[in-house]
Amino acid sequence: MLLKELRVEFRNKQTVNTFIILSILILAAFRFAFSVAEPPLEDVAGPILWVSIFFAGMLALSPTWKREVEQGTRDGLRVAPIAPSDVYLGKLLANLIVVFALEAVVVVVFLAFFPGTSPDWPALVAMLVLGTVGFVALGNLMSAIASNLAQSEVMLPVLLVPLMLFTVVISCVGGTARAFAGATVLEVGDELRFLAAFALVYIAAGYLSIEYVLEG
Amino acid sequence: MAEPVILARGITKSYGRVRVLAGVDLEVRKGDRYVLFGPNGSGKTTLVKVLSTLMRPDSGTLELFGAPLGDDPRPARARIGVLSHEPYLYDELTAWENLDFYARLYGVKDRADLVKASLREFELLHRAHDRAGTLSQGMRQRLGLARALLHNPELVLLDEPYAGLDLGAQEMLSELVVRMSKGGRTVLCITHDMQKGFSIATRVGALAGGRVAIERGVEERVDFEHDYLALVKGAVP
Repeated sequence: MLLKELRVEFRNKQTVNTFIILSILILAAFRFAFSVAEPPLEDVAGPILWVSIFFAGMLALSPTWKREVEQGTRDGLRVAPIAPSDVYLGKLLANLIVVFALEAVVVVVFLAFFPGTSPDWPALVAMLVLGTVGFVALGNLMSAIASNLAQSEVMLPVLLVPLMLFTVVISCVGGTARAFAGATVLEVGDELRFLAAFALVYIAAGYLSIEYVLEG
Repeated sequence: MAEPVILARGITKSYGRVRVLAGVDLEVRKGDRYVLFGPNGSGKTTLVKVLSTLMRPDSGTLELFGAPLGDDPRPARARIGVLSHEPYLYDELTAWENLDFYARLYGVKDRADLVKASLREFELLHRAHDRAGTLSQGMRQRLGLARALLHNPELVLLDEPYAGLDLGAQEMLSELVVRMSKGGRTVLCITHDMQKGFSIATRVGALAGGRVAIERGVEERVDFEHDYLALVKGAVP
């Protein structure tokens, strides 16, 4: 499942192109916006980075399940003697690999647009990893739900954003801002524990509910 | 008499207020080539979805391979091959990769040999490394059939399998269906094509009004066609 997902993704390039282009555009927009006001970078670095990742990631996660519906392959998976939760985990792992790789590019572009930032790298990487796991786990499940609905591209943000705002987003933005201000892994421990808990909850929710979601 | 592979009693299914299946009783025995005809909208595809465990019926009982379909349909799924309107192919994967992926899902052993043999049987070996999205409609349908049969299923469900196939491929499919049933496999086929249907069938039925309204042996073709015509005229306003 994982190998199939990665093959389809890198040949289709839909996620890669969407993520890279949109995140660079968002970063460029912030760069120009802040060239006028110039607030302290450690205050805005967290929001800028995560807004880029969340919005680009939402569009990038949308085709994960929609493509299966459009190509008629979702039923092919459903008639196979495999657990739906295995399908969810396969897609989750593939999405994580793709999004982690793309995030590395986004961070490099971010540093190019906003030079002079010196975050605590272990803390920043820990925030990125745990925040992404929670985001992708929830996004994967919501993408599966949205694929059953008309206008799934619109419905995914409608379903995903409210759930993310008060869980993953608050912790990610706060913890990342502190990492950019020099806070260490230990000092952002509360945010990391919060993100780890949400990641586990979202993975469990997807694992347990995907069978009913796939029935449409 | 061979044991029933499909035993459906009183199967109903509605979409909202529209009742599509209104108490289907169907018995298909091991080695049968049962062809089900029916006018558009008679619920043929819905019935295939129920029989393939893709859809739960609203009521009624379904036994597959002599056992009631329980909460976990996976053991039954491993013994069923399905070819529907969609061939269940990934456009971005090659013909070989598509078959290899499904072979993994079904836990098939000696995958490479089997995939190669299957592509050869369906005359697709020369396109093995081309993406499925670049294949013609007929080739995709053949690849879909190869996918459906890859795990050597005991029950094969075919929903309009002749759609999109050229004459040669249609002949190949008919010969394959007959060969499969001689090898002990059971086939349930849904088609509009009366000629093709009778060429492969051992038993025929007609779905109308959400029920199996007519059932005949293949030797009773004249009676069946007479009754079916009357049924269709009655069913279509």
